[in-house]
Amino acid sequence: MRYVLSKIGLLLLTAWAAITVNFLLPRMMPGSPADAAIAKLSRNGTVSPATRAAIEAQLGVPGGSLWHQYVSYLDSIRRFDFGLSYTFFPQPVSELVTKALPYTVILVGTVTVLAFVLGTLIGIGAAWKRGTWMDSLPTLSGSFLSAFPYFWTGLLLLFFLGYQLRWFPTSGAYGARTLPGWNGAFVSDVLAHAVLPALTILITSLGGWILGMRNTMINTLGEDYVTFAEANGLRSRTVAIRYAARNAILPNLTGFGLALGGVVGGSLLVEQVFHYPGVGYLLYNAVVNQDYPLMQALFLMITISVLAANFVVDVLYGFLDPRTRR
Amino acid sequence: MSLLEVTDLSVVYEPKGAEPTYAVKDVSFALERGEFVGLVGESGSGKSTLGFAVTRLSKPPARISHGRIVVGGRDIAGLADEELRRQRQGGFAMVLQSGMNALNPVRTVRHHFFDIFAAHGHVDRRRREARARELVAKVELPDLVLDRYPGELSGGMRQRVSIALALSLEPQLMVFDEPTTALDVLVQHAVMRTIRDLQREEGFTALLISHDLGVVLESTSRVMVMHDGAIVEDGTSQQILHAPEHPYTQMLLSHYADPRAEVVELPGLAVRGGTISTASTRSDDAGQDGAVAPAARPSAVRAGAHRSAAREPVVVDHVSKVYPAPRRGQARVVAVDDVSFRLEPGQSMALVGQSGSGKSTIAKLVTGVERPTSGTVHVGDVRVDTLRRRGLRDLRRQVQMVFQDPYSALNPLHSVEYTLTRPVVNFSDLRGRDARRRVLDLLDLVGLSPVEQFAAKLPHQLSGGQRQRVVIARALACDPQVLIADEPVSMLDVSLRAGVLALLEDLRVQLGMSMLYITHDLLSARVVTDRIMVLHDGRVVEAGETAQVLRFPADPYTVALLDAVPQPGRAGDAA
Amino acid sequence: MNPTPAPAPASTAAVPDHAPSGPAPLWRTAVRGLATIWAVPKARLGLVILAVFLLTALFAPLLAPYGATDNSFGRNEAASAAHWLGTTAAGEDVLSQVIFGSRISVVVGFVAGALATAVAVLVGLSWGYARGFLADVANFVVNLFLVIPSLPLMIVIATYLQNSGLAMISIVIAITGWAWGARVLRSQTQSLRSRDFVTAAQFSGEGSWRIVFREILPNMTSLITGSYFGAATAAILAESGLSFLGIGDTSVVSWGSMLFWAQNSNALLTGQWLLLLAPGLCIALLATSLTLINFGVDGLSNPRLREGKGR
Repeated sequence: MRYVLSKIGLLLLTAWAAITVNFLLPRMMPGSPADAAIAKLSRNGTVSPATRAAIEAQLGVPGGSLWHQYVSYLDSIRRFDFGLSYTFFPQPVSELVTKALPYTVILVGTVTVLAFVLGTLIGIGAAWKRGTWMDSLPTLSGSFLSAFPYFWTGLLLLFFLGYQLRWFPTSGAYGARTLPGWNGAFVSDVLAHAVLPALTILITSLGGWILGMRNTMINTLGEDYVTFAEANGLRSRTVAIRYAARNAILPNLTGFGLALGGVVGGSLLVEQVFHYPGVGYLLYNAVVNQDYPLMQALFLMITISVLAANFVVDVLYGFLDPRTRR
Repeated sequence: MSLLEVTDLSVVYEPKGAEPTYAVKDVSFALERGEFVGLVGESGSGKSTLGFAVTRLSKPPARISHGRIVVGGRDIAGLADEELRRQRQGGFAMVLQSGMNALNPVRTVRHHFFDIFAAHGHVDRRRREARARELVAKVELPDLVLDRYPGELSGGMRQRVSIALALSLEPQLMVFDEPTTALDVLVQHAVMRTIRDLQREEGFTALLISHDLGVVLESTSRVMVMHDGAIVEDGTSQQILHAPEHPYTQMLLSHYADPRAEVVELPGLAVRGGTISTASTRSDDAGQDGAVAPAARPSAVRAGAHRSAAREPVVVDHVSKVYPAPRRGQARVVAVDDVSFRLEPGQSMALVGQSGSGKSTIAKLVTGVERPTSGTVHVGDVRVDTLRRRGLRDLRRQVQMVFQDPYSALNPLHSVEYTLTRPVVNFSDLRGRDARRRVLDLLDLVGLSPVEQFAAKLPHQLSGGQRQRVVIARALACDPQVLIADEPVSMLDVSLRAGVLALLEDLRVQLGMSMLYITHDLLSARVVTDRIMVLHDGRVVEAGETAQVLRFPADPYTVALLDAVPQPGRAGDAA
Repeated sequence: MNPTPAPAPASTAAVPDHAPSGPAPLWRTAVRGLATIWAVPKARLGLVILAVFLLTALFAPLLAPYGATDNSFGRNEAASAAHWLGTTAAGEDVLSQVIFGSRISVVVGFVAGALATAVAVLVGLSWGYARGFLADVANFVVNLFLVIPSLPLMIVIATYLQNSGLAMISIVIAITGWAWGARVLRSQTQSLRSRDFVTAAQFSGEGSWRIVFREILPNMTSLITGSYFGAATAAILAESGLSFLGIGDTSVVSWGSMLFWAQNSNALLTGQWLLLLAPGLCIALLATSLTLINFGVDGLSNPRLREGKGR
């Protein structure tokens, strides 16, 4: 329990640090992002004082005291008020983010867990059969695949499976003629649209998990407890899974938490390739239009999501390792 | 029919990109049912490789190249995996050297037993719990260890659990590979006793692999001596002890003695009552690690000539060291508890005790590496416990250290010359050619010649004994007054120890240094020190003249330590 | 992997009769290091691929048939004898762009990788040496940098810096990419500083700087080289990602920006698969070559390998 509490403490502390980084970033930049954003907004009509305040809280008031700004910034975060989007005027940023977040979390979350599990299993097999083709094939192809830029894998799949073979829809989260709702037609359409982005993330991230698991597993295979388990005539499946893999998965889980940021970053590019309406695509639009309030809010949400995922991994680790329970 | 018959067994190491080497060469031997046989050899002799081969646990790059291993009438040398696995129950079991890591850290002890029962199905499902309890009781552990994870057990307990697990296979043959090496002296003694008792009660055939002839002779009825991949001698313990035939066995035996005896003799070292003498030539032991004893010692004279005349004592006064609790909720650790002593110039004093007795902490306090919680440490006029950077550096001119592990005490990337040049340059005005001269003198002093060749070598090109000589040379580079030797020979093969000890003792007398000799090994303490302090849980339990204390110990702890010293001769009493 | 005989360069690294007590000349160390890496077959493949890219980048003007921004050709042409990989929507030669594009990736990879590694070494070493509160703070900061997703952070910073040049992009990549290396180097520093030879160096009267740079650092050559190639790989991928999003100067021809223009000009619809394939494949190959080289760096800190066939 102490372990979980300390992890919660760490989560809160890290979240606070991330929020603060988010506060400092626009204020450290040359020029005045807040002025630029407000100037752009005013092209759509008059900017209400509330909107102006929200934007200034996020991006900085020229000349204001930093501490004062920090307090109002924290307050606006608490109210989940990030101002209005310039790109999608007059929608509030918070609304846009809330709409986009589920797409990304579900897509990236599911695929990442799937890739991790699959990669870990392949890694276990490769390490167990080390020295054979069952080792060298996944290891070499894994090294090569993990060097692929996410967006390029996406472009290739989009081109060949989407445009050439026309197996899957090429853009968006659901077709233009499908009405959102909890019905079979809509769900299957959403699933069909998710196939290509999911496949992209799966293919590109798989290699890393395979290599990571294989390496840690090879280390644990050299441990005395594995030799002793063999000396005691345990079945090779038991030795591989309960002795070697069970221990190898622990450092690999830590690696999972740390590599997560990279996968999420890559996934954002994938969303852009497929015009998938998640935070990545939204971020792309914010960047192209220099929509600072939207960009800033998205960065914060992405960071917080990764932190939360890391926290879940940490807690899981605690359950798997008896040494943390003491 | 013998239980185990090994015929012409060879094991080859085939590392990638290197020449294959044979670690075991055409070895043949047989073990009778119920026998307790020892297999003795030094590092690199191939004894563990043989043990792993006999239990079919050799892993790449090691491979059984040819030979037969017949257990109970069946050749297991070429058995396929699954068939081999089944043979392990009721066949042959192995207890590994580092029992510390032999247990899966994420499974409870109970699960370890149940895994074995499930793998072989030799224990009825309803009987499993009872059988596990029975087995841990056999190794003198309480039932509740079954609920524990390995990380929650001490080293000795873990090794006992390993033994119980191996026993759960109901094997006919048990191979023990250095079963007590990583353990503390007293624990070693107790675990060995358990192994002996079990062997007698259960009647399995046992092969005890060890580097320590003393331990083996104490426990076994027959001993095989292994050297360079071959068994060079095989006989009853009595024969080996009283009439060893092979020169290698004779040499090994010569390195054992009873620290309680009036006269203790090791090759190159002798102590009679309280008087230590070193042999004038050490050619026999020097041959072991390739070092040659210097005939004349102009360098030593030179070194002695320019040192300061003033000799000062080390005074440790009511010193305590308390470390904060390692985890919240635990008690703080009192490593040293109110210890006082005085080390006179030119004197050599032993600090003996088990790990955790505080002996190494005292070394850190004397060298200024750590500061005492209370009390004072003086080297002459200098108060060590308040020194800062600059002062500490000056202190190093007076107080130098010889480390325990020669493999970690030398930077693997620096040549011997670089390693020795640094203290010469840092602590003297010698530069360039003069500094190099001094480095070569130092090498000569510790018996590493031809000096030019040794100066150019990197640590991995040296043997353990040679490395330790370099470590000693480095400590002598600044002509210290006080030498702290922290278990300087415990990582060396038995046959090399006397040579290094004799060298230390020789140099100490020649250069007029005082020495604080830290060890758990009472025999070595007896032969190189005048005075001794026995430490237990940070306190001094007994102190006095070494010969007096060891021959007529007063404290029960000292007696226990003495009893734990392996005594080849004691095998006679046991039989 | 089959054991392969050490190649010719290794023999030059034989043990000299009198070992110099000072450091070996830099070029000698470099040659020896290359020979060590070359001895590992996977790493050898990596070195060869990397060499091809380096030479391409160096001699791009000689190798490329046309200028990178020469748009005087037909638009969206398929592969032909004149244009092996076809032309872009703007009428530029794809092959020439691929050749010139290698310069950006190579430069950014090596510069940003070097910057990130420098920060990682500095932070890792001092963090490994620090104790108490300072170490806790460092721990927190490094972990923060590890968990904050770096690509979004780069995107945000680079967007504020509008149309920033390559130098700025390299710095941004370095700022966000040093934490992993620092963490690895820290734990190695910690394990090395607890070794007796470090204490022994103190007893030999060595100062702190000398202990760090002459005793500890040389034992980390493998790790530092490894984290350098790792950082360079990440930098190459990051740069391509930023270019693909159109962040930075899109008029500079890089593999990432080629893909940016390809997507924006609907190369997917016109069926120009070579335009899609070539730049991405180059990124993947360059990154793979660095990963492969990393299989060979383990030997760099090993004195046995350093000295060739010792003993």
